[in-house]
Amino acid sequence: MTTREISYSEAIREAMAIALDSDPAVILMGEDIGTYGGAFQVTLDLIDRYGPERVMDTPISELGGAGVAVGAALTGLKPIFEFQFSDFAALAMEQIVNQAAKLRYMLGGEASVPVVFRMPAGSGTGAAAQHSQSLEAWFGHVPGLKVVQPSTPEDAKGLLLAALADPDPVLIFEHKLLYKMKGPVPEGAYTTPIGKARIARAGRDVTIVAGAIMLHRALEAAEKLAAEGIDAEVIDLRSIRPIDHETILASVRRTGRLMVVYEGVKSYGVGAEISAMVAESDAFDYLEAPILRLGGAEAPIPYNPDLERVAVPQTDGIEAAARSLVRGEV
Amino acid sequence: MPVEVILPKVDMDMSHGTLSAWHVAEGELVRQGAALFDIETDKAAMEVESPATGYLHHVTAKEGDRIAVGAVIGWLYAEGEEVGPAPAAAAPAPAEEPAAKPAETVSAPAEIAAPVAQTDKIRATPAARKAAREGGIALASLTGSGPRGRIQGSDVAQALAVYRQPAASVAEWSPQPGPLAVSTRGGEGVPLVMIHGFTADSQSWMPLEKAMGRARPLIRIDLPGHGKSPRRRIASFADLARMLVEAFDDATRAHDQVHLLGHSLGGALALAIADIRARKLTSLSLIAPAGLGPEVDAEALTGIIRASRAESLAPWLRRLTASPDTITDDYARAAMATRRDPELRAAQADMAQSLFADSTQCFDLRPALARLETPAAILWGREDRILPARHALAAGSECAIHRVEGAGHIPQYECPEPVARILARHLAGAEATAG
Repeated sequence: MTTREISYSEAIREAMAIALDSDPAVILMGEDIGTYGGAFQVTLDLIDRYGPERVMDTPISELGGAGVAVGAALTGLKPIFEFQFSDFAALAMEQIVNQAAKLRYMLGGEASVPVVFRMPAGSGTGAAAQHSQSLEAWFGHVPGLKVVQPSTPEDAKGLLLAALADPDPVLIFEHKLLYKMKGPVPEGAYTTPIGKARIARAGRDVTIVAGAIMLHRALEAAEKLAAEGIDAEVIDLRSIRPIDHETILASVRRTGRLMVVYEGVKSYGVGAEISAMVAESDAFDYLEAPILRLGGAEAPIPYNPDLERVAVPQTDGIEAAARSLVRGEV
Repeated sequence: MPVEVILPKVDMDMSHGTLSAWHVAEGELVRQGAALFDIETDKAAMEVESPATGYLHHVTAKEGDRIAVGAVIGWLYAEGEEVGPAPAAAAPAPAEEPAAKPAETVSAPAEIAAPVAQTDKIRATPAARKAAREGGIALASLTGSGPRGRIQGSDVAQALAVYRQPAASVAEWSPQPGPLAVSTRGGEGVPLVMIHGFTADSQSWMPLEKAMGRARPLIRIDLPGHGKSPRRRIASFADLARMLVEAFDDATRAHDQVHLLGHSLGGALALAIADIRARKLTSLSLIAPAGLGPEVDAEALTGIIRASRAESLAPWLRRLTASPDTITDDYARAAMATRRDPELRAAQADMAQSLFADSTQCFDLRPALARLETPAAILWGREDRILPARHALAAGSECAIHRVEGAGHIPQYECPEPVARILARHLAGAEATAG
C-alpha cells in the first residue's frame, strides 16, 4: 500500500470520500458542511463531488440535526454528523446519550444506530471558553457509545473507517490543532482498530499516556528527556471507550511509573480512569512512585492567549513532571 | 524561607531521642544529604542527613539533650537569605503522635508535593512492598532513598542483595511465611510467657518446666528461624523485637496479665517487650539476658551455628555450662538432630551476623532496663562464659539479681531446681504486690 504525506483534515476527508464511494448508505450531515466546506474546512469540496443529497447542510439546531442523524441510522443509513465544535454536543445530549447510546439495548438488539459523530475539540485556537473544551470523558462515561481520539493523520482516517464499520454510535474527537498537521497516510481503505492503544515511543523509565495533541507534546518532551538519559515510553491512547487496559498495564509493569497527560479538565477525567485502572490492577505492585495526572486547569479555557496556553499541559510542563517522577522527587 | 531541622522518628516506638553530636557548627554551610547530627535512641544510634543545603542557625539543642520526636532543633538558611529572629515552627507535631516531618522537596511541582502524613505506617512504594513480601524482608528494617524517606523497590533489591551475599560455608536459605510458633500448656493462674535464647528452642525449657511443676499456664514462643517458627530475614535487633512484640501480643490476647521470662537473646527481647507492654506484665524474669553490654563469646555462637554434626557441636555446647559433664554425647546428638536442616543453620548464621556483628552485641537494652517499672529479677550463672554476669550490674535498685551457683550460661538447664525456686518466689511476690 502506497503511503504519502497528507494532513489530518485531508486524511479525514479521504476517509469520508472512500466511504461515500464504497457504500451508498453513507451520508454526511452537519452545519455548513456543504457549500461552506465545514467550520474547519474538513468536508471542503465533498458537496461538489457527491451532491447535496449525500452531503447535507443542516439547520442551526444541534439537537435537531443529531436527531435526524440518529433516526437515519435507525433506518439503515450510515450518517457522519459533524458538530462545528464538540462543545455544541451539549445541545444534542438527548440524542447522543439517551437515544443513540441506548436504542440497541432498549430494542433488545433488534435495531442498531451506526452513526458517527465528528467532534472538533480542544483549545489553542483562541476560540474561548465555549468553543475550546475537551469533553471526551463525558461520553466515555456512557455505555453504548464508543469514543476515539486520533492523534495522527493515519489514525484519523483509519479510525473514521473503523467507526463506519462499527454497528454502534462512535464519537471521534478531532483536535483542532491537528487538522493542519501532516503525516504518512496509506492510500485506499484500511481501519485502525477501536479500543487499541499504540506505543508511540518505547522506553523503560516512565509511561506517559496521552492522546490527540498531548501525544505530540509528550513525544517532544520525551525526546528532550532522552538527551538527559531519561527514557520515556509514550502511549497513544487512541480510544477512550473502550479503553486498552492491557497495553497500559503492561507498560506500567515495565516502567514502574505512570503519568497521564490530557487536555480535559484534570478532575473526573480520562486521567482518573487510567489511574484507577492501574491502582486496581496487578500493575499496582510495580509502581515505584505515585501516579501523576497532568490535565487541564479547573477553569473555563481563557480567551487571553497566554492564559489559554497555561490552562492545558504544554511540552515543558510534561518534561518537568516526567523528570521529577523518574528522578524520584515525587 | 528557612528550612526546619527536625529530630526525626527513626523507630516505631520512639518518642524521644538523644542528640549525641552535631556534625555542623552554627553558622556553617551544610549540603543536602550530608551528615547533620547524630541521634541515639533506646535501640540504635544513627546519623541524620541534612534536609536541605544551607547555613545552620537558631540551634536550640546541644549535644546530650533529650529531644521529643518532631521538635525543631535548628533552621537552614539559603545562601544570601537574611537571618532574622528564629522563625516559629510551621507545624509542631502533636504531642501524642509525633512523627518525622522533613522539609518538602522544593523541586517537586506544587500540586504533587503532598504534605507529610502524620503516621506510623511505613512509606514505601507498591513495588518495594511487593519485593519485600517476596524477599521475606521487613520494610521497617530498611532506609528509604526516595522522597521523604520513601522505600523504593531498588532499596529492597539492594538490601536483599546484601542478605544474599554468600557467606563462607553458609548455605542459601529462603524465608518462610507465617507467624512465629507458639506452644502452650494449660494450668491455673497468671500465665508465664517464655522466650528461649539464640540457637535454642522452646524444648530447652523442659528441665525448668519439670522443676516448676504443673501450676500456671505456659506460653512458649519460638524465635524466627528456631524450633517450629518460620525462618525470617532479621536486619537488626529492632526488627526482631518487632516480630516478638507481635507474637507476644497475639499469644497473650486472651489474658489481662502475664509473667514474662526470657533467656539470653530471649531475655533481651523480653526486656524490649516489657519496655512497651509494661501494663500487661505482672513480672519480668531474665536469665543471663543479652543486651546489657557489648561483650559476647561470638566464637561459641559461631561454633554452634556452624556445627553440622554432634562431634563438632558438643565442644561448643560445653562452653554453655559450668560443668562440661552436663553436656553428654547423647545430649549433643539430640541437639544436633534439631539443627540438621542446613537452611535453619544458615538463617541463624545470618541472624548472628545482624545481631552480633564483629563479636559485639549490636544492641543496648540498658536504657530499657533503667526505665523498667515491672517487678524484675535477673538470674545469672556464676560461671557464664558466653555473656559476662557483670552485665547484670546495669540493673536498678528495685531489680533483684540472683547469682546461680554452679551454673554457666544456661542455669535453667544446668540447675533447674534453684532456678525454679527463685522464679516461684519472684512470680508469687509480684502477684501479691499486684493483688
